[in-house]
Amino acid sequence: MDVLLRHNVTVAGRSDGPPIVFVHGFGCDQNMWRFVWPAFADEYRVILFDHVGHGHSDHSAFDPARYGTLDGYAEDVLDVLRELDVHDAVFVGHSVSAMIGALAATVEPERFSRLVMIGPSPRYIDDDGYTGGFSREDIDGLLESLASNYLGWSGAMAPVIMGNEDRPELGEELTELFCATDPEIAAHFARVTFLSDNRADLERVPVRTLVLQCSADVIAPVGVGAYVDEQLPDSTLVQLEATGHCPNLSAPAETTAAIQDFLAEP
Amino acid sequence: VSGRDDLIRDSPEELFENAPCGYLTTALDGTILQVNRTLQLLTGHERDALVGRRFQELLTVGGRIYYETHYAPLLQMQGWVREIAVDLVGADGAKRPALVNSVLQRDEDGRPLSIRTVVFEATDRRRYEQELLRARDREHAVAAELQRGLLSGRLPLDPALDLAVSYRPAEGLEVGGDWYDAFWLGERRIGVVVGDVVGRGIVAAATMGQLRSAVRALASTGLTPGPLLDALDGYAHRHEVGQMTTLAYAELDLDRGVLVLACAGHPPPAVTAPGEPAHFLWDGRSTPLDAAAGASARPESTVTLTPGATVILFTDGLFERVDRPLQEGLDLVLAELTAHDGKTAQELANAMTDAALAERRTTDDVCLLALRWTPPGT
Repeated sequence: MDVLLRHNVTVAGRSDGPPIVFVHGFGCDQNMWRFVWPAFADEYRVILFDHVGHGHSDHSAFDPARYGTLDGYAEDVLDVLRELDVHDAVFVGHSVSAMIGALAATVEPERFSRLVMIGPSPRYIDDDGYTGGFSREDIDGLLESLASNYLGWSGAMAPVIMGNEDRPELGEELTELFCATDPEIAAHFARVTFLSDNRADLERVPVRTLVLQCSADVIAPVGVGAYVDEQLPDSTLVQLEATGHCPNLSAPAETTAAIQDFLAEP
Repeated sequence: VSGRDDLIRDSPEELFENAPCGYLTTALDGTILQVNRTLQLLTGHERDALVGRRFQELLTVGGRIYYETHYAPLLQMQGWVREIAVDLVGADGAKRPALVNSVLQRDEDGRPLSIRTVVFEATDRRRYEQELLRARDREHAVAAELQRGLLSGRLPLDPALDLAVSYRPAEGLEVGGDWYDAFWLGERRIGVVVGDVVGRGIVAAATMGQLRSAVRALASTGLTPGPLLDALDGYAHRHEVGQMTTLAYAELDLDRGVLVLACAGHPPPAVTAPGEPAHFLWDGRSTPLDAAAGASARPESTVTLTPGATVILFTDGLFERVDRPLQEGLDLVLAELTAHDGKTAQELANAMTDAALAERRTTDDVCLLALRWTPPGT
């Protein structure tokens, strides 16, 4: 399978510019970057893609074993970068993909120049002396939420979304389907994401990293951002005014400016 | 306008406050600015306890994660979200199932300004949904149990035989209809079968069970593979069961290595021998069960195996994939069979199903039966 098709890879911006990769987190697809990436297009070669099972990726390539840990997702990042022959990329990862980027950079450091982690958390569940913000029961609650919210992924729509069936009469409904994800894949990704523990990986991140911390982010609270910044060998933490977990959507200007300031560092 | 209509017509304030749904306006970060009376009743919170809090704080923690990862992003991207199921946590701590719709309000320049949200109670609907989900899970469990029960028999053991099966049921909610069987036919002969029933779920599992028993019963009467499939046609037709099923049935004489084979609309078995490339056994083919009314007798074919030869019977899940031509899949089966020839039957069966499913979801059952003929002295 063609890696670029598997991940619905988009390449935009300045073709001879330095590469910058934006990677979406749990819950949506590369649309998450729509208000951010254009600001980088003049200077950078912009690369966007969907994790397998999300957006317009090849859903049939989803293998529960490969994606049983975040390492499988990190391997995908490397697959895309290898396919595009990318070295020294700026990696911008949102939410769980911040950690996925950290893992990928540890495996093949030469492909990364800098890392931008937006709302990262290496461990969501509270542990002895560590506050991630959640309990195991909370994650079960999330799985229940996912099970009762199909977001358009009904038996009638799923084959159309996956491109297995041509049903023009559903076209209009289809254009409204941001973030439509196979509920089984979404539940699998949720489990892998929220039960992961990558705290020990932080100290091995080999590139300079920006940690973007939102205000009032229930998913990655301020204390967790501080922990990430503390564990990383070479990092800066910037506190955003933006609230919630998706500043790339709710405060794109502030997010973009913070990334640009970081990249302007000598 | 009559006087009565005037009496009936609500003021806008009345329409808002006592609407038949909870209604609120929030800032973009979810901070509640305005709530109607119905929402106060729904949550058990007074207005003062609601205004100034974030809407997402009224949800369960799981719901809050869903809000941040799905609800808020969708709203920001498309300007609306509809029919999202959440649990509101009331002042008494009890969960109240609800459905929520939101629209994003914009200012004159199109910049997001605020969010309007309506909240509908959905207690009965949620209960009904959960019953449906439970029923679906139960049916799946029953069908899976039935399938497991049917497939868990012991395989014939003999020094002249290395026989193994690899069976990977489809992932997802419904069990598929692939089955296999292997049994003694007499002192030195065995029968092996791999088949694929149309359909999924309990019905498919039950059909599979009937056909499996029918094949065993017919085989015990001494019918050879071609006539056995003819008799099975009659069974399927008379009892209206398992029509369009495909299967491959073969008998092996363990002393002489003679394999007699018939194939009803099923992928052809393949054979390989030490030092020889694998090939398909294309003879002895006919249509699926009860597919051709009044057709002539089904053919069978006979091959004599060389000592150490390996035969595989398998279902289409092993080679069929939407993203490549059928022939490519079949070629890969032969390549894999040749490549794994040195292994035990179990290792070979596992390796071949692993290869077929590598980095894929198992969307169809995959069933492979491998037998190697190893007569004494070889």
